[in-house]
Amino acid sequence: MATTSATPQRSGLTETSFWQRAAVRRNLSAYAFILPFMALFVIFNIGPFFWALWLSLLRGDLVDQVKPFVGLQNYLSLTTDDITLKVFLNSLQYTVSVVPIAVITALALAFLIGNKLVRFKDFYRAVVFFPLLASAAATAQIWSYILAPRYGVLTYLTGLLGIPEIYWLSDPDWALYGILLIEWWRGIGFHIILFLAAMLGVPEELHEAARIDGANAWQVATRVTIPLMRPVILFSVVMGTIWAFQLFDTVFVLTNGGPVHATATMVWYIYNHAFRYGQVGMAAAMGVVLLLIIMPISYVQMRVLGER
Amino acid sequence: MTHFNFRGNWRKSIRLLPQAVVVYVLLAALVIVMLGPYLYIFSSSFKETYTLISIPPQLIPEQFVWDNYTYILNELPFSLWFFNTILVALLVTVGTVLIDALAAYAFAKKQFWGRDFLFGLMLATIMIPGALLLIPAFLITNWLGLLNSYGGLIIPALANVLGVFLLRQFMQTIPEELEHAARIDGCSDFGVFWRIILPLSAPALATLSIVVFTSQWNNLVWPLVVLNDKDLYTLPLGLALLRSEFQVNYGITSASAFLSVVPLLIVFLFLQRYFLEGLTVGAVKG
Repeated sequence: MATTSATPQRSGLTETSFWQRAAVRRNLSAYAFILPFMALFVIFNIGPFFWALWLSLLRGDLVDQVKPFVGLQNYLSLTTDDITLKVFLNSLQYTVSVVPIAVITALALAFLIGNKLVRFKDFYRAVVFFPLLASAAATAQIWSYILAPRYGVLTYLTGLLGIPEIYWLSDPDWALYGILLIEWWRGIGFHIILFLAAMLGVPEELHEAARIDGANAWQVATRVTIPLMRPVILFSVVMGTIWAFQLFDTVFVLTNGGPVHATATMVWYIYNHAFRYGQVGMAAAMGVVLLLIIMPISYVQMRVLGER
Repeated sequence: MTHFNFRGNWRKSIRLLPQAVVVYVLLAALVIVMLGPYLYIFSSSFKETYTLISIPPQLIPEQFVWDNYTYILNELPFSLWFFNTILVALLVTVGTVLIDALAAYAFAKKQFWGRDFLFGLMLATIMIPGALLLIPAFLITNWLGLLNSYGGLIIPALANVLGVFLLRQFMQTIPEELEHAARIDGCSDFGVFWRIILPLSAPALATLSIVVFTSQWNNLVWPLVVLNDKDLYTLPLGLALLRSEFQVNYGITSASAFLSVVPLLIVFLFLQRYFLEGLTVGAVKG
């Protein structure tokens, strides 16, 4: 048995080695094409990933040559630290607020723009895209003026309506919602444009059929259109959640985590502990916690991209 | 018959009128909310300092003044930040598109050992939050001696995984026959890539360029950790600095914020299509 199976392999050796050489050449050519990408990918993605895992087990300053190994001590410290809990709750509270608000308002606005009476839909698409063009830093400057106490435009307008003055960015109870308002404005266009494309892709016959069956506009929307948009809504929720958990830029520019850590987020914690407080291990450990939160959500994003 | 149709449409129009009014009022509100902030800081950037904090707020400045612009252009290194941002964004865009296109071609059109493994690995890294990679990426950049330099801003940004996906997906749709024909004419591997694949991938290359350029233009975190020297700052970092130094001088912050956005607004007006396409592909928000 062993001899019979070995013989064809050996006899085929001269023949396959020719093919192998062609295959080697083909492979080398392909590797040459991917080499620049792969080199950078390994140095700045794969390498840093494993290094970050390792760093979360060490203690020290960013520039310390020797960082002592402390095992899981950083993770234990995270559980006992007051700021950790605050930061974690802030990120959670922000995410569970901003994602439903953004997705639901975007859905409503997509129905508004998608309405059959509306002409020049491209114009409105461009309008909602505009906020996506500005950097978080520019948006933060724009809105800090609008939200300013006393002379800010929004403060003035809400005052006209008799709403008591809100210190959007300096009141610890409101600051996170001030940030949310800005981020809503910044990101809503993404969801609207996605929804609009999905909505206009629903075949008109389905709407007609539902209407002939006696459905009103609300029923057509909730029983026909929205169910058909489910994959897109899922993608929207996933992307919104990933961004929300990684909130940093706006917070960094406007409040730097304050007042009294009211807007301190997980990424704010990572940045400050690594680059300000000299606690690289704690920062990396928080990064790993963030990874564990993001990974299952992001897995959906990966599947969507992989399917295309 | 025409008369009847006319009356029918007219009746229908009357019936739809209340709905149309509601729809357009809401749309007007949407336009104000989305564009209002831009218009407001645009107008504020021409206000005199004392009118910036007037009550009620002035929507249109009583007196147009250029002071805010002359100040940021003459007294601050704003034009330098502008130049840095353009340079870095352009170089990163060109480099990324080229490097990603080379890799995407191999992944789309070639068989090689480890292809599926490498591709799966790339897919998996999408799940890693940028903040986790920030510290070691900084340490590596430091180790390479690239801190506080253009190179430190550009080189770590060049390998864009999402770009490879986008281009690979597009290149897979290019018919094999074109490649074969080129090979029969004596084209080398690189010749096929350069003369056939790359030109045919132009729409996808444009979309990726837009995505990369925009995200570089608006990137804050990486310049923040890599740069010390204020002369090397990019616009988002410069704006963050101005915000901390000129807290309530809204003339300065309005003018600088507006100037930093204008180039992308202009590009957007001309290349809207690619921005819209890039939205779902990149799904990048700073």
